[in-house]
Amino acid sequence: MSSIVKLFIFLIFSAVFIFFLISISSVVKLIIVSALFAYLLDPVVNFIESRGLSRSSATIILFVCLTIFFVSLFFLIQPIIISEIDSLKQGINLSHAEMMITNLENFIVSKLSFLGLKELNLFDKLRNSFLSFGDWLFSHVLDAASFLTSIIIVPFNVFFLLKDGREFKRTIIYLIPNKYFEFSLYLIYKLNLQVGNYIRGQLFDALVVGLLSIFALWALKVKYFFLIGVFAGIANLIPYFGPIAGATIAVVVSILQTGSFQMALYIIVVFIVIKLFDDIIVQPLVVAKSVHMNPLIVLLAILAGGKLFGILGMLLSVPVTGFLLIVIREGIENYKKYRINFQT
Amino acid sequence: MNVFKSKKKYEDEVESVLSDIPIFQDLNRRELKIIKKILHKREYKKDEVVFKEGELGLGMYILVSGMVHIVCGSEKQLLAELRDGDFFGELALLDDEPRSATAIAKEASVLLGFFKPELLDIITRNPKMGCKILFKLAWVIGERLKKTNEQLKDLKCLKENASI
Repeated sequence: MSSIVKLFIFLIFSAVFIFFLISISSVVKLIIVSALFAYLLDPVVNFIESRGLSRSSATIILFVCLTIFFVSLFFLIQPIIISEIDSLKQGINLSHAEMMITNLENFIVSKLSFLGLKELNLFDKLRNSFLSFGDWLFSHVLDAASFLTSIIIVPFNVFFLLKDGREFKRTIIYLIPNKYFEFSLYLIYKLNLQVGNYIRGQLFDALVVGLLSIFALWALKVKYFFLIGVFAGIANLIPYFGPIAGATIAVVVSILQTGSFQMALYIIVVFIVIKLFDDIIVQPLVVAKSVHMNPLIVLLAILAGGKLFGILGMLLSVPVTGFLLIVIREGIENYKKYRINFQT
Repeated sequence: MNVFKSKKKYEDEVESVLSDIPIFQDLNRRELKIIKKILHKREYKKDEVVFKEGELGLGMYILVSGMVHIVCGSEKQLLAELRDGDFFGELALLDDEPRSATAIAKEASVLLGFFKPELLDIITRNPKMGCKILFKLAWVIGERLKKTNEQLKDLKCLKENASI
């Protein structure tokens, strides 16, 4: 069979496989989230294993420690979370904000009346944005049924990925034909090295930004400081858009809460300081071996990822694009340098 | 029953081959079991190429059964004929240079691949075992270098005698 026919068959199968994955996207998302956690925890299990324990024992010990940690954390922060969620459901007292925003709207309309502006309905738009964010949060993140399912399935997947991940990898590698075997192994090795370090670095970075945001918003007495801080940390995983989204939510909540711009200004300054700290100190230290890409490619990847797979797509677009670039770059380099022959 | 017997026979064969490989000679039984789990079993048909000269190299191969020829150049000059228990390509564990020769299976062969990613993984997970392997690897390469020096010396002597 000629190589063009083989390539054509391979592309058809790939397209069918991708279509199948998109149709079971909720399951795929769970698997991807589990794989991300497994990537994050793998070095810890390796460390425990290097002390002389078996892989299974190391994984069990890690899970016992994590269970104790998260149960303790849950009892510690449960009162804060419940009070913030209740408050979020009821909405904020908007009388101060309504007065302030109405004054601002009158000011803008009076100055820009030559443009034909009469009514901006700023307050209604702001309020609706806040409420729709709350709805989105409940339907996508805090939905009870899917949250409970995730809480059970994800740890289960992570446990077995950590314990038997190497076996799965070896089984997949065994299926690769001899002709492409070493090159495929090389690509998997490069993928693990660069993308794995990127994901771990970014997750640690998100944790640092999240903690700093929670502390800063708590110090500024912003309502929902915990939820907004967590959101800011998770949003930081998305380059460019994430930090802006986190700061915007905090600013909107503070305006609606206090009815003044002063708090909003403090919040903007605090988020700029956190962003500078992140860019100058945290990122160079923990994301040092990350995938190096042109900022324009990063932006296009995020937009494409968001369009195709929503928030998860935006989170994973950078490492996935980085991996594809590695495959293309290494493939071309090795074809030229090492004269890899893909012909029969 | 036959499936289990043949699997057991294969496992015994692999253990016996591994214990004779100089790189793994300092490892105890438990460590050899760990090595067995991370090796990649590959099966090659007669005249199938294992790797080509100039290709990217990622690690070494251990011949469990069959025969492999190591050849070089466009004329495919035979450098070595390898049998059960022999190993080749170990330099690729240490450097990123392309393969210096071509390896072709001359019979249906079963090979075990031990590659750089797995070696680096062992060094991280089990540093003591990783050091044992690295020391032995250095020893094997040193021995090959000494043999090459001796062969070069002999060739020089022959050349001098011929010119006289």
